[in-house]
Amino acid sequence: MKFSIYRFNPDVDKKPYMQDYDVVLEDSDQMLLDALLRIKDLDDTLSLRKSCREGVCGSDSMNINGKNGLACITKLSDLEEPVVLRPMPGLPVIRDLVVDMTQFFENYNSVKPYMVNNDPPPETERLQSPEDRAKLDGLYECILCGACTTSCPSFWWNPDKFVGPAGLMQAYRFMVDSRDQAMDERLENLEAPDRLYRCHNIMNCVEVCPKKLNPSAAIAKIKDLKFEQAREHKNQAKKHIEIKSV
Amino acid sequence: MLIELLTKRYPGMRAWLTQRLSGLVMAIYSVLAVGRFLVLQPTYYEAWVDFFKPWWWRLASLLFWISLSIHVWLGIRDVFKDYVPNANLRAILVKLLLVLLWLYMAWATWLLLG
Repeated sequence: MKFSIYRFNPDVDKKPYMQDYDVVLEDSDQMLLDALLRIKDLDDTLSLRKSCREGVCGSDSMNINGKNGLACITKLSDLEEPVVLRPMPGLPVIRDLVVDMTQFFENYNSVKPYMVNNDPPPETERLQSPEDRAKLDGLYECILCGACTTSCPSFWWNPDKFVGPAGLMQAYRFMVDSRDQAMDERLENLEAPDRLYRCHNIMNCVEVCPKKLNPSAAIAKIKDLKFEQAREHKNQAKKHIEIKSV
Repeated sequence: MLIELLTKRYPGMRAWLTQRLSGLVMAIYSVLAVGRFLVLQPTYYEAWVDFFKPWWWRLASLLFWISLSIHVWLGIRDVFKDYVPNANLRAILVKLLLVLLWLYMAWATWLLLG
């Protein structure tokens, strides 16, 4: 099977180049990651990230024939030859297919992706009704592979300002968590013009998500919550005026 | 509530919502314009003058132009943010755009109400 792979070693190369490989695969090689490991047997200078090899860790996300995805769950039989592999776009390349995800995780951390609950911890656990738990479906499954965020043009142009689809989906995941108490702060945190509203519904994120999640829908729901927040603020202000007048 | 979201308290939502509301105004005007065009079918100069004669239509046209200007302002400003990384050049372009939009606005006002 033929491959064309992006190569760049900053210690040696002045600029990146594409290297061709023609590899004989075995019957057991079903996924792209299998083929990459076969190539690595032939040329151990090729660098890539990998870990769980079953679409759970999100390490081996890369640009496969022009579309971001996970090598470990991409079937070789679905790929056109030569398979063109590049690092995920929009992030600095460390070497070959390995990118520096610092910016991605900075943006992710900026939405406080953890539960904020100031009540004293209960003896056992913070309970949720099955209905409230169901609200997290389609959100908590994100493996932070970065495929969505690095295929988003809004992130390419404003990586330091726009949070990106992965971070925004995790922001929404905690906003709708019935155990979380920081809804207002979370919404305020996304109010700067470029953090949330740079999303122009291009939908690349939805197209590439290897877990079939929908960050675009989550972003739209954050805007709905914004409307609800404004309604609440207005009601509170009204009550305040009424109390004052009494 | 919409007015609350258009205040300085919500800078991001204000721009986003303004762009949607201006888009809505333009969409409604466009439907009305096509409808009037099909009914009145202005094919010569005097017919076009009659087309724009009613005061309410001139007012609607002005509202359309205001919405268009706001929509363009927000949209092109975003495009500059994306594609013009040099802050000084971007500031110049944004100012030029603003001047151009105000000139067009004055021209449209003069044409419609003058």
